[in-house]
Amino acid sequence: MLKKEDLSRILGRCMASEADFAEIYEEEEVSETVSSLNAEVENVARTVKSGAGIRLYKGVQSVYGYLNDAEGERLDAIVDDLRRALGETEGKTASDIALTEKTYPNNNPVEKDFESVSLAERTEIVFRAERAAKGYDPRIVKTKARLLNVRQKVRIANSEGLLVSDVRVRTRLMMEAFAAEGDNFQSGGYNPGAGKGLEYWEEKTPESVGVEAARSAVVMLSAKDCPSGKMPVVIDNEFGGVIFHEACGHSLEATSVSRNQSVFAGKLGQRIAAPCVSAVDDGTIPGAWGSENVDDEGTPQRRRVLIENGILKSYMIDRLGGRRMGMEPTGSSRRQSYEFEPTSRMSNTFICAGTDSFESLFEGIEKGLYAKTMGGGSVNPMTGEFNFSVREGYLIENGKVTTPVKGASLIGSGAEILMNIEKVSDNLARGQGMCGSSSGSIPTDVGQPAIRVSSITVGGTANE
Amino acid sequence: MNKQAWLDRAKEKGFDGLEIYRGHSAERSVEWFGGQMDSFVTSDVTGTSLRAVIGGKTAVLALEKIGDDPAEIDGTLDLLAAQAAIVSTKETDTLRAPEKTEEAKRDSEWKVPGADEILAALADVEKEILAYDPRIKQVTEAGWQDSVSGREIVNSLGVDVRDEGRTQILYAGAAAEENGEVKNDFNVEVVRDLSKFDPKAFAEKAAKGALEKLGGSPVPSGAYKVIFERKAMTSLFGALTDMFSGDLIGKGLSPLKDKRDGQIFSEKITVVDDPRCPDALRMANYDDEGCPTRKKILVENGVFKTMLHNTKSGARMGMESTGNGFRGGYASPVGVSPFNCAILPGEKSLEELQAEMGDGLVITNLAGLHAGLNHVTTDFSLQCSGYLVKDGKRERSVALVTVAGNFLDLMKKVVSVGSDLDWEYRTVACPSIAFESCAIAGA
Repeated sequence: MLKKEDLSRILGRCMASEADFAEIYEEEEVSETVSSLNAEVENVARTVKSGAGIRLYKGVQSVYGYLNDAEGERLDAIVDDLRRALGETEGKTASDIALTEKTYPNNNPVEKDFESVSLAERTEIVFRAERAAKGYDPRIVKTKARLLNVRQKVRIANSEGLLVSDVRVRTRLMMEAFAAEGDNFQSGGYNPGAGKGLEYWEEKTPESVGVEAARSAVVMLSAKDCPSGKMPVVIDNEFGGVIFHEACGHSLEATSVSRNQSVFAGKLGQRIAAPCVSAVDDGTIPGAWGSENVDDEGTPQRRRVLIENGILKSYMIDRLGGRRMGMEPTGSSRRQSYEFEPTSRMSNTFICAGTDSFESLFEGIEKGLYAKTMGGGSVNPMTGEFNFSVREGYLIENGKVTTPVKGASLIGSGAEILMNIEKVSDNLARGQGMCGSSSGSIPTDVGQPAIRVSSITVGGTANE
Repeated sequence: MNKQAWLDRAKEKGFDGLEIYRGHSAERSVEWFGGQMDSFVTSDVTGTSLRAVIGGKTAVLALEKIGDDPAEIDGTLDLLAAQAAIVSTKETDTLRAPEKTEEAKRDSEWKVPGADEILAALADVEKEILAYDPRIKQVTEAGWQDSVSGREIVNSLGVDVRDEGRTQILYAGAAAEENGEVKNDFNVEVVRDLSKFDPKAFAEKAAKGALEKLGGSPVPSGAYKVIFERKAMTSLFGALTDMFSGDLIGKGLSPLKDKRDGQIFSEKITVVDDPRCPDALRMANYDDEGCPTRKKILVENGVFKTMLHNTKSGARMGMESTGNGFRGGYASPVGVSPFNCAILPGEKSLEELQAEMGDGLVITNLAGLHAGLNHVTTDFSLQCSGYLVKDGKRERSVALVTVAGNFLDLMKKVVSVGSDLDWEYRTVACPSIAFESCAIAGA
């Protein structure tokens, strides 16, 4: 990382231009992935990234330059390039920007840094998960697991005098189990993680991860074709929250709202969801996968109430989006790395717990789908059309959960689906995912209690 | 970086071998929005990946800051040794020895335009899209991207290869609105010489794409005759090309395990992988291990002939590398991937395929490919849009439906393969293909 006086000098040079704001983002990241197949270590891969990104604004125009090995002349050359892109800068002289270091309490303390234990100990976490999966059922024929550990240090300095650092430590186990019976070959997966050190695996045991993946693979051996068409759907908790993430979350980001490219643009204070729906994006949950102390522009993370009893309360806004919208940033600016210009993104986003019992969600459904575990999805914020996939689903027949069915995608339009949420139960849980958008792939939690949607299009293959 | 110093020290430490892969990329891009320059991005990034084989086991480490200080070299090599020591697979890994190959060459002239010329072109594109039809409400984005990337691969057995490539693309999105309904579309073009670029023709594609989607609605659920238009076909096939990976086949995780020389697709389907293909945008004489590339027929008249390998996956199955050991980026491990992989085109145009189909559905766009596919079974269920065909003619737009099935089953039900293969900027390409039947879920 650069010396404080260098940051002051470079920011001063940036501002001797047409720019009205300048920012330097520095990053050092160490990541390690231990990959194993059938409880044999195949590979240990380690990556050490270090680079910087410099951004200048002129009104709502932005210019961004990034490089690694960010020192001396190369940085100055990038700054010259950026200043030129904003227009000629005659007659402006550079003076250093005085920086004041700000510190915030650490919401995400780490007890056991991954590098504080031996590689053999890290590997044992992977083996424990695989052994549990293998031991779950004789039909489990293969297991595959990867343990990811990341430590990302960032420092942000800007022309308003801000200087702030953050350290984000994350761990995640990606487990896949394969079940076979005759020619029938199926897989099941489970990928939990946290913004914590290896102590997380004492709370979430690797065995429980292995068993969950194996259970899902074995269930899929007896899955029938999934029905298709519109029907009521009960979506369970944890990663089920991907429905809100896709159907609504992305369309509340300033990235699309500020350019009038979202179905929810201009709808603050209006009803956009059924009254039983309240939803939050909270980057301050201690040790959560999508948490951080400050966002990638140095603004403290916070809890944002997005929807309260169906009424739209807030968007997620970054600094540039805020300029376009005439609103304050909400601490929502995130990026994968210095190689991306940051923009408004989600952190830990979830539908709040309701009061309906889990059992009551199935009452009165003659024919429907129970989506127990979910894969990922995507959305076009402009039209609100979204999709997400069910990994493990079951038929609901006459109010009862019956036969397992093959994976299928669920599709709809965000504005409509939020109004069709009829019941919200009380078993709120969050699941971990990687969210992709213009500022790269970032860790986010999705979450919800089990919910019931009155009608959604199920993309199966069975026609009756 | 003094590569020789690293190779020498690895040898002194008793490593079987060391490979140094360096990737460099530099980008300049401009975006235009609302009548002015919106953003400008410039970058310069170099990354180094070290791959060591020690006692027959491989370890990899990627670094962005790398020096030649003896203590730094020693510390880094010791980390690699510790990583290799924990690998417990039974196979013995090796690095590649150099191989002679006649390098394919081709004329790939890129004329690099000045900043003013780029901004003027983007302004023209914006103006032309807005002028195309009163229902166009916004140019959602318009941009230019110029990227130069290069790689060097050196190893202790004497491999020493390097290459560099450039790509310039121009892209823009259009949004159309009618009766409160909004639809959008996007166009991308590879531009070798901006002075020959036609903003009007480019704008028409983006604008027309958005306008045609207006008024789209679901169709009733059921089995339909379908055509996957070339872009949709390319995205579906492209998402499943990992089935040809010799790594996954060797591990028993590909649906093509035990299927070699078997009929996996309709006899109308032939699949070729050719990193030296002269028609594709990108070309590689070597893979990322320094192995010379070559043309392979993966599927011939529906019969599965060749799987793809890197050095390691090939050795595990007693086979040679096919020159498909590519990385996702300098920091990614060497995997197995196709490079310029295509389903060979047939004779009929899309219009002729439609006429032949009579009544059915043409799928032009698929969404959710990262989640709606099962790579083990090839079952898929995806959001799609397109248009309904009646008596061989386009009738109306279709949106918010899903298409579902099993890819291996679907590829046995080919009616006709279209002639419209176009690589554009991709490394996987397919023509439009008509199928007997597919499950559609909608209203």
